[in-house]
Amino acid sequence: MGLEPGRLHFSWISSAESTKFARVAQEVTEAVKALGPNRHFLKEKAKVA
Amino acid sequence: MREYTDKIRQIARRLLEEGKVDRVIGFKKGSMPMMNEPCVIRRPQDADQLIWDGNCGINLANYLTGAKDKVGVVAKGCDSRNIVTHIIENKLDRDNVVVIGVPCQAMIDKRKIAAAVDGEISEVTETDDGKVVVRGNGFEKTFDRAETLQDNCAICVHRNPVICDEPVADPVPEQTDVDRYADIRAIDAMSDAERKAFFDDMFAECIRCYACRNACPLCYCPTCFVDESRPQWVGKGQDENDIRTFHFLRAYHCAGRCTDCGACERACPVGIKMRVLTRKLEKDCKELYGWEAGMSVDQRPPLDAYKPNDPDAFIK
Amino acid sequence: MKFVKIDEKQWAEGIGKLKSGYRVFGPVKEGKDHEFRELTGDASPDMAFSNTRLSPKSVVYPQSEVMFEYTTDESRPDHHILKEPRRDDTPRAVIGIRPCDALSFLLVRRNFDSPEYKDPYWLRNYEATTFVGYGCNDPCATCFCTSAGSAPHDTQGLDALVVDRDGGYAAKAITEKGEALMKAAGWTDAMDEAEAEALFADRAAAAEKKITRQVATDKLAEKPSMDLYDAPFWEDVAFSCINCGTCTYLCPTCWCFDIQDECRGCEGVRTRNWDSCMAPLFTAHGSGHNPRGEKVQRVRQRFMHKLKYYVDKYGEGIQCVGCGRCVRSCPVNIDIRKVCDMMNAYDPEAANDCACPTT
Repeated sequence: MGLEPGRLHFSWISSAESTKFARVAQEVTEAVKALGPNRHFLKEKAKVA
Repeated sequence: MREYTDKIRQIARRLLEEGKVDRVIGFKKGSMPMMNEPCVIRRPQDADQLIWDGNCGINLANYLTGAKDKVGVVAKGCDSRNIVTHIIENKLDRDNVVVIGVPCQAMIDKRKIAAAVDGEISEVTETDDGKVVVRGNGFEKTFDRAETLQDNCAICVHRNPVICDEPVADPVPEQTDVDRYADIRAIDAMSDAERKAFFDDMFAECIRCYACRNACPLCYCPTCFVDESRPQWVGKGQDENDIRTFHFLRAYHCAGRCTDCGACERACPVGIKMRVLTRKLEKDCKELYGWEAGMSVDQRPPLDAYKPNDPDAFIK
Repeated sequence: MKFVKIDEKQWAEGIGKLKSGYRVFGPVKEGKDHEFRELTGDASPDMAFSNTRLSPKSVVYPQSEVMFEYTTDESRPDHHILKEPRRDDTPRAVIGIRPCDALSFLLVRRNFDSPEYKDPYWLRNYEATTFVGYGCNDPCATCFCTSAGSAPHDTQGLDALVVDRDGGYAAKAITEKGEALMKAAGWTDAMDEAEAEALFADRAAAAEKKITRQVATDKLAEKPSMDLYDAPFWEDVAFSCINCGTCTYLCPTCWCFDIQDECRGCEGVRTRNWDSCMAPLFTAHGSGHNPRGEKVQRVRQRFMHKLKYYVDKYGEGIQCVGCGRCVRSCPVNIDIRKVCDMMNAYDPEAANDCACPTT
């Protein structure tokens, strides 16, 4: 769809894997921050016709 | 096509006379060249209204959703696969539907023909030897039928109905060595910026009439997500993000269900080629799960069944 | 200066000159079809068109239009106040509009400019616009303007009319607005009046002969509304309808809209967007009740509004100009000409269970 790769992550984490959850959350946050602000699919204020 | 029409009328008349069905859904002749109108026949004596030719592209499974009475329906390959999808999604009881199966010889694309001639078309006839004769004010042009097909029909590999109670003719040969995904691979190969530009261009003319959704037999939600107002998920204006959201999300809702009947593109008043979205998902379903939609009433679709060996390479 | 002749060079130069004083709109070929677009830069109207795919109503009535802007940022003195945005009020000129499409603005005006209510958005745009019509030489097979109070060279909704002439065009000013535009374009090469009258009359007569389909509307006013409303043919008419909004969005005379607020952070706008009586949401009440919850009710509403309620309310004919767009673009071939004939001919006394015409 034109969304940059790296903005969407999938992980399988059991409810017992709290450390994995924390680690994945950390990694996802860092990876997305590294990409900078999203520029696609952002709705701007409607233009006056 | 004359034999198809005669046989359809004969079957419809018999089913109604014998009380096997309460009504028959088929096509009647339209008021313009290359247009037929879906219709319902309730009395045997009206069966002669039914016709068949290359302009029956509308998917009649769309008119079956939730039917509780006994219905006969004229169905080509794709329609029959959507009837199967209706059955496995509990939208239709197999016992309530009599499939009048049409081995499909592919539908002609009125836009392709209109684009290939200068001037307004007054009459289009199909000949028995595979030609399409187009007449208009001061011109007559003959095409090979194969050049005039709807895009989806040209790459169709399931022309024969997959379920059929009343065959209209012997099966037609299926097309083999068809590359269904050449354009999809080209889009896959684009960079994300190119792909975004491709889709921006594709949706630029959308007027949000939702003809694509409404022509689609899969789109039977009582309230579509774009029509939800509490909460409202999608804006109503011409914002490109809202338009994109509608098209992408609608396509995802059809993942593993779309039979590529082409009703969406056929219905679109501004000619958007939205089948690239559904075919991308079709390709994924085929490659990941070996799945083709609507081929059997006995198999659950991949997106509503879990198997331990489902591919999961995308999960970290 | 009532009639002028315009050669091809003067035509092209004139369009260029107009752009300094007007926002100029005209037919532009996009793919296989034509649409009305704003002509910016060197763009010129492509007059070799039969009928645009969408009607030109969006020049006056955009599909999505901002009514107000607001902020909820309480640090700003104007918070929670609806403010009108600054609008582009440059005069507009529509070049090459078909007479049927131009008439549609007069039909729609009865709704947006009534003694009880004046719609400022529509009216402001409408009054800023000069309509330069282009006489239709080759009506389409789907055209039935002559049954809908118009004609291929009808001037009712126009400020000026242009027709083909050897080596260019001939033009007629109809209103002062049209005259002013022709002056601004430098189209002032006067034409012999008798010659011009004859040319316009010949063109009009030749085009009118090519309209092959007539639709009967003469009895619509006298039919009781409830007879038509309860007529047995609606189920059949509606059967094939997929309830998309194509007909309403393409129609030059459909005017219904929906008002929406959209905001991001503290900044918001109130917009109005085209809406369609084909959509269930159009009539959904806050309570959850929907008076037109069924498809057949919505299809009936569209035809009853255009061909009966409008006729009764204004006494000025049907709410249709016969442009044929809905006929051409309906995905399932619902044909307003057939429905109109059926309504016009309907007699409840004669109706029985096979009342539904089949062709």
